[in-house]
Amino acid sequence: MARQDRRLGRWMVLPLILLLVAVQGYPMAFAVYISAHDYRLTALNEVRWVGLEQYRGLLGNPSYWTAMRNTLVFVFGAVGLELLLGFLLAYLLWRPAPAQNLFRAILLTPMFVTPIAIGLMFRFLLNDQLGIIPAWLRTIGVEIDWFGPNLALFSLILIDVWQWTPLMVLLLLAGLEALPVEPFEAARVDGASELQMIRYLVLPLIRPVMLAAILIRMLDAFRVFEYVYAITRGGPGERTETILFHIYRVGFLYFRLGEAAAMAITLAGVIFVLVVLLFRILRRQEAIA
Amino acid sequence: MLRKAMGLLIIAALFGAWLMGCRPAAPGPITLTIIMEQVPDTDVIRKMLPDFERENPGIKVVIDAMPYDAMRDKILASFMAPKATYDVIIVDNPWMDEFVAGNFLEPLDERIKAIPDYDFEDFVRPVREIGVVGGKIYGIPFYNYAVGLIVRQDLFNDPAYQDAYQKRYMKSLAPPTTLEDYVRIAQFFKEQSGGKIYGVAMQPQRGYKIFEEWKNWLYAAGGDLLDEQGHVIIDRPEAVRALELYITMYKTAAPPNSLNWGFDEALRSMAAGEAAMMMSYNWMLPTLNNPQGPAGALAGKFALYEVPGGKAVLGAWHWAIPRNAPNKDASWRFISWITSKRMEKQRVILGGAPVRVSAMKDPEVWQKGFGQSYYETVLKILEDAEPLARGPKAEEIIQVVGTELNAAVAGEKTAEQALKDAAAQVRRILGR
Repeated sequence: MARQDRRLGRWMVLPLILLLVAVQGYPMAFAVYISAHDYRLTALNEVRWVGLEQYRGLLGNPSYWTAMRNTLVFVFGAVGLELLLGFLLAYLLWRPAPAQNLFRAILLTPMFVTPIAIGLMFRFLLNDQLGIIPAWLRTIGVEIDWFGPNLALFSLILIDVWQWTPLMVLLLLAGLEALPVEPFEAARVDGASELQMIRYLVLPLIRPVMLAAILIRMLDAFRVFEYVYAITRGGPGERTETILFHIYRVGFLYFRLGEAAAMAITLAGVIFVLVVLLFRILRRQEAIA
Repeated sequence: MLRKAMGLLIIAALFGAWLMGCRPAAPGPITLTIIMEQVPDTDVIRKMLPDFERENPGIKVVIDAMPYDAMRDKILASFMAPKATYDVIIVDNPWMDEFVAGNFLEPLDERIKAIPDYDFEDFVRPVREIGVVGGKIYGIPFYNYAVGLIVRQDLFNDPAYQDAYQKRYMKSLAPPTTLEDYVRIAQFFKEQSGGKIYGVAMQPQRGYKIFEEWKNWLYAAGGDLLDEQGHVIIDRPEAVRALELYITMYKTAAPPNSLNWGFDEALRSMAAGEAAMMMSYNWMLPTLNNPQGPAGALAGKFALYEVPGGKAVLGAWHWAIPRNAPNKDASWRFISWITSKRMEKQRVILGGAPVRVSAMKDPEVWQKGFGQSYYETVLKILEDAEPLARGPKAEEIIQVVGTELNAAVAGEKTAEQALKDAAAQVRRILGR
């Protein structure tokens, strides 16, 4: 009976698997296929096999490396800040306080706005001619060129932090609330200070949740596109050209889909390696703990 | 029994419905869908549509207007489809050769010949030639966006500024005709006004914008992107000089933190009375001089000149018919109607940017439009103007050069290094 059930179960997931192959497997396989061809939308009758030529071309393509570097700076900068701020806020919201739910709801609002709208909003808020933020800063004598060559990438990181720290708070808060009460009571009885409790109890206990939160945000941050598209278009120079924006440029503005596909596949590789590394680190720390 | 009857009834009803569906469709009106950019010149076309539909019963026109960035991929998707989404498209000049090379556009020579009084030669030559690829006509000029020099004439006429300039430089103050004068006058306005007015509003934004502005400087310095034989010469000394002057201008006379500015920011700055000069599209002048426009009380104080050096960057949109368009005759009916001499006059009077010589020389247009001197200056600008880049790789070349130029202005590279890198990349793109 059980075996029959299992066999029936296999048959029942088959449609789902077929669907996944059709909508995910096929495009991915096709991306691999065109990355091995000179595939340009404006010259579809000249498509030819080039093997690994596209990938070799990327090695000597400075724009590609700049975009990759910018993306990594963006991901680590944004996720790092979000983790720090998110943890602090979650920790503050953890204890019961009056109107606690109201605070939480307000804190989560930035997440509900679509990123392209956020991008446009900050483009005007930080605009040197029209923006209210530079205008306020000027009244106290501070002149900051938010989208100048030195700050542009950092400004984009700040915008991401503004929008996505709430997600971090949400996830970490859920983790904190699921923690057992007993260790904390015991620690309090033993006279542990607040910092000691964070260091020796909270952090080790919510590490799995933290890892999940970092992973979710990291994968998301790699896809940064809207802020770049709405605000800087990759400029000044190539200071904010992120890899996804670069792929978009090559694929949909220059129509060289083969090269764009090759870049996308290397990006998938980089993300894959990072995810594996992150899991490794977590495992090892768990083993030590 | 009842159920059986009901079942039969339903089958009969379905069969009847199917038969109704089989009726041949009545020869209904043809609907032309046109992709256009959301800009003032499109609004002008919208105003003219009722006339077209009245003169051509049986053809309805629907304009699908969108921001510039959305257009290129939509047009390409329409080319790829078995039947085009768009019956008529407009083509920006860097795309023309690329679309023809992809075999996406319908040649129009025969259709033009079939209309005796069409007078194709009446379109200003440099604009007309953008639509001609390999000896065949694929695009009919729609409107131009050639670059001119727009100045605050009231500042140039101000005796206080005139005297001060005369004293300092032993020359009378007049709109600049050389790069050196351009930089000097811009610096003069900034210093003389005590920093209240910037000498110039620039558009050093990465990509198309900075290249569009700087190439006028390049022409004025005697340089170009390619020479007659098609060799890349953008790393020659005259180009380096043009870029160094451009950077000096940005650092000493333009508003601070304007490295990301495009033409709308520069326009805003001029309209706010913040800047004395800018290089921009010639049709910005009527916008600035419109009392209901963005400049408000300053309206009427702006004037248009040729850019320093005389040779200007030419931009233009062209009408074209995709090869896979289903109703090509109706598409051509619309294009030939809107670009006819009669309608061009109409369009220019309504505020459209001119492309036909006859319209720019028409006293009625002068009087109902923006005045004789404006149209004469525009004609002069158009006659000595050239697009940013040509060939099937134009779009990418423009983006790549525009990125290097912006990096040089941002101080990330020297002018010489940036141009060397730009030249290397253009050579690579052309060699591919």
